[in-house]
Amino acid sequence: MIVSSGGEHLAHRGLALKQAQALARSAPVLFQLREKGLDAASIWQLSLQIAPILKEAGSILALNERFDLALATGAGGVHLPESSCPADAVRKAARGLLAGQSVHSETAALQASSAGLDYLLFGPVFHTPSKEPFGPPQGLERLREICAKVRIPVFAVGGVTPEKALACLECGAWGVAALTPFLDAEAMPETINRFFAFIPS
Amino acid sequence: MNLPRRLLCVITDDSTDPVELARLALEGGAGMVQLRRKKATGRELFQWAVRIQALCREQDALFIVNDRVDIALAMHADGVHLGQQDMPASAARSLCGPDAIIGVSVSCTDEALKAAAEGASYIGVGHIFPTFSKDKPTPPIGTAAIRTIRNAAQLPVIAIGGIDHDNAAEVIRAGASGIAVISAISESDDPAAATRELVKRIRQ
Repeated sequence: MIVSSGGEHLAHRGLALKQAQALARSAPVLFQLREKGLDAASIWQLSLQIAPILKEAGSILALNERFDLALATGAGGVHLPESSCPADAVRKAARGLLAGQSVHSETAALQASSAGLDYLLFGPVFHTPSKEPFGPPQGLERLREICAKVRIPVFAVGGVTPEKALACLECGAWGVAALTPFLDAEAMPETINRFFAFIPS
Repeated sequence: MNLPRRLLCVITDDSTDPVELARLALEGGAGMVQLRRKKATGRELFQWAVRIQALCREQDALFIVNDRVDIALAMHADGVHLGQQDMPASAARSLCGPDAIIGVSVSCTDEALKAAAEGASYIGVGHIFPTFSKDKPTPPIGTAAIRTIRNAAQLPVIAIGGIDHDNAAEVIRAGASGIAVISAISESDDPAAATRELVKRIRQ
């Protein structure tokens, strides 16, 4: 299960920090910190605060794109957008980090897989406002094709609710990722449990 | 790594093709190129950086990346330049190793002392003169600040901000090891000639 923050930290006054605190009371997840509005010094600060909280809870913090900040702050992972620094170069420079990438096509999925990344995020599988910039939903069949073709774990993203999670797993997805269901940080442990209720471990 | 004396660092701007700008600046004798493009994707930055670094190697010039330590690490740049809103120099130093060039932008003695304590190789001091390249809410610090800040931090100073043909020599006389320019080169009709002229002025 991947929980994504979505550049909401500024707009929601510290949502990412609240989410991290809630994750201390939740089942372990991969928390993707994606705060495009913040400068590097702020992400550095935030990651120093959040990384130990998540580690304690058995979760992993993956910073968006900036593996330098991840290495410097003790975050365990880095999550690359599709337009990031090439995955093979990141893989070499950031040994020891869990590294994944968002992909929206089969070509990108195969490239990321052969670059030695640990996981992929594929989507948007279903319709969701937060993923509209990435085009129309790809659907479950596309998800199934991608999962069959790559040899690393694929997480389904985009409009995934607890109810829809099982269908994604039946297509071969390793897990699911979501952003919108977690905007209510207080309810986070419960929301994660609802997801896990639908995801056989 | 020690910085060469009387160094001209050309910084890419937000609109010109950075590889072409670097090529012309190197043709004109620039000793260092800094890739600075705040809105570019990681992929664009990486691809530009690889090409500019190759051009720099041909001319024995240095290549550094602004802010993005990740890009510098991924393509083995000579170093990075960090602003006050970027990763701390101490963190960059641990990641990049003892030989990397790590520059830090400072505008006062306190920031300069902090940069020195954190392992910076040089400080970018500015802005010296009024400039339109960056939106600066603060007034220019003037040439006299160069020596004060340099003496406090005991680090080479690369002066930045509003430096052109007319005032470059004055900045060097004021104690700077080098100068950094953006618009003086990028907005010139002939960037190679503009670079050549600036190099001449700071070596006089």
